[in-house]
Amino acid sequence: MTALRSRWLELLAIVALAASLVRSFTVQADVTQGDVQRLMYVHVPSAWLAFLAFGVTVFASAAWLRTKQDRWDRLAAASAEVGVVFTALAIAAGMIWARPVWGQFWTWEPRLVTTALLFFIYLGYLSLRKAVLDPAVRARRAAIMGIIAFIQVPIVYQSVNWWRSLHQTSSRNSIDTPLRLTLWLAVLAFTFVYLALMRRRLELARLEDQLEARHADSASELAGDGVTIPTLDRVGQNV
Amino acid sequence: MTFWRQAKEIARKDLVVEARTSEVVLMTAPFGAAALILIPLAIGTDAPLLSRLGAGMYWIVVLLFGVLVILRKSAVDGPAQTDVIRLLGVDPAARFAGATATTAFLLLLFEIILAPVVIALYNPDLRGWPWLLLILPLTAAGLALLGTIAAGVTTGLGTRISLTPLLIIPLSLPLLLGATQALEGLRLGRGILPWLVLLAAVDLALAVAGVLAARPIEEATA
Amino acid sequence: MSRRPYTPFVSAKTHLVLLEDAGLRVGPTVILQRVKLSLDAGEKVGLLGPNGSGKTTLLRLLATLQRPTSGGGTVLGADLMSNDIYRIRPHIVLIGHEPGLYPELTLAENSRLVASLAGRDQERARTALELVGLAGAADRRARDCSRGMLRRTELARALIVEPRLLLLDEAHAGLDESASALVDLIAARVAERGGTAVLVSHDAERLNVDRSVRVVGGMVEQAS
Repeated sequence: MTALRSRWLELLAIVALAASLVRSFTVQADVTQGDVQRLMYVHVPSAWLAFLAFGVTVFASAAWLRTKQDRWDRLAAASAEVGVVFTALAIAAGMIWARPVWGQFWTWEPRLVTTALLFFIYLGYLSLRKAVLDPAVRARRAAIMGIIAFIQVPIVYQSVNWWRSLHQTSSRNSIDTPLRLTLWLAVLAFTFVYLALMRRRLELARLEDQLEARHADSASELAGDGVTIPTLDRVGQNV
Repeated sequence: MTFWRQAKEIARKDLVVEARTSEVVLMTAPFGAAALILIPLAIGTDAPLLSRLGAGMYWIVVLLFGVLVILRKSAVDGPAQTDVIRLLGVDPAARFAGATATTAFLLLLFEIILAPVVIALYNPDLRGWPWLLLILPLTAAGLALLGTIAAGVTTGLGTRISLTPLLIIPLSLPLLLGATQALEGLRLGRGILPWLVLLAAVDLALAVAGVLAARPIEEATA
Repeated sequence: MSRRPYTPFVSAKTHLVLLEDAGLRVGPTVILQRVKLSLDAGEKVGLLGPNGSGKTTLLRLLATLQRPTSGGGTVLGADLMSNDIYRIRPHIVLIGHEPGLYPELTLAENSRLVASLAGRDQERARTALELVGLAGAADRRARDCSRGMLRRTELARALIVEPRLLLLDEAHAGLDESASALVDLIAARVAERGGTAVLVSHDAERLNVDRSVRVVGGMVEQAS
């Protein structure tokens, strides 16, 4: 029973996701686009989560810079890892949807372009984390880069928006109520999935840090341990 | 020594080093020019097509190859040199300002050298060209600011040559759009002002961020 | 940041350097642990120890270029965990393993840059190069100079800045007899003016110091 209780968030996420999937397939299809429009129920929530996860990363980065508490760095890293997955999902779903509807895989619409750039920003952030070995240095550099990126993202979005308005009129179709409800259900379900994934990832990170700390206390690797006095009498024998 | 004098000394030192190696003028700029020559061979040498694409290609080359200009700085200022500068009591923000000023100047030089190349090869529409006197420096400054910050967070990392461009390019989109759309906006009869304001706003935001991040970045380069 | 005349941060009762159980680790690797060290004005102290023992890192810690990850201490009256370290840095000179010179600048230009940033006049740079015996090579680019010449230029930096705390890693490495003697002279000069000189070396006999400490396994053992 305790196992069940500790997994309540995962169960909730699964149930919500299942409900959303069922609803996505049973609700009426879009009049103009047909069944392919149902991909919106994956694309839109994924995109929403991509940006939410990024927001969490930035918030946690700022919190780390302020408090220097490890848990904020763990949160920032976990959210970035989960976020990059949702970003990729959003882009993939968007591309599969765009092909039959627009005749091409990419539409250069501001939100899509910003999502694509967000993917690369995530990659850069995660690559930076991977490249730095020392945890304190890693946390600091990643936090700074995260915040710099955050300042730029709205500017990126707005500039693409203006660029679009220069070249073509933006098309924002209004969406019918039953479809809108399905969309909201999908967003809710995906948010639960995000929270469940985050919970697991944070738990894992916490355990990793604990293990490292325990390791560090007991058998710390001393920098100079591997260095011994050379055995000069053996030099010249078969060398 | 005041903040500005420190920044000036740092910038001066960087410019002297660049003058001695001529890396930007003799190596990076020709590399960019070579790219501009290769592009039509890949996409077609149709004159109207090239005329239409010329300005865009110019800015793409400035952006992508400009990253090399940014990277050269990290090669010049190794850890030992940085330690000396730090211990002389140079304010990290002054070091940032000086480094950015030099990089911006070199990027502007890069832009100026490539401009006649793209005009000759692509014959772009040059309506409103006097505005370039404002657009070129604003773009150079923005790229330099972004690049110096990115170089700061990748200091001392083995993969910095690959990582730094990955950090810079996605975030430089507003600069690219501001530069390309400014003249485009004029050509289409829409205003140029929003784009200039965008460029200036990006530069200002990055300048403030860079100065504020200077000390934390230095603390992270043990 | 104008260059103020040196105001003593330490009184006669306090140490110039005091490390209390200072430690430094990078990720899982411990480089320094539980370091207790006190250095007083007018001392020349040798730092000995095998490769990888943490001597260089200890010097960087004393130079305030790295903060301890455990414990703490003060250098020239500034708490190593505070931002006061930025204030005292101009009074420290660290001459490390790698030459901190710009290869494309001449020895004179490198020295003038140091003088300028240290708030000293340019003449001082010229004189310092003369004193270290490099007047004839002053206009040579650093990249064309030998390791020993670069080392001497760095010693000139100590003469220009006149630090309160002089830290020399591999103090006599790459130097000929006369230049080696110069190291001892400069260290003595710093000590005479109420500062402290710390010299790292593998050659205990070569060191001309008042006392030595050994660094073994990231810890400091006081020796005679």
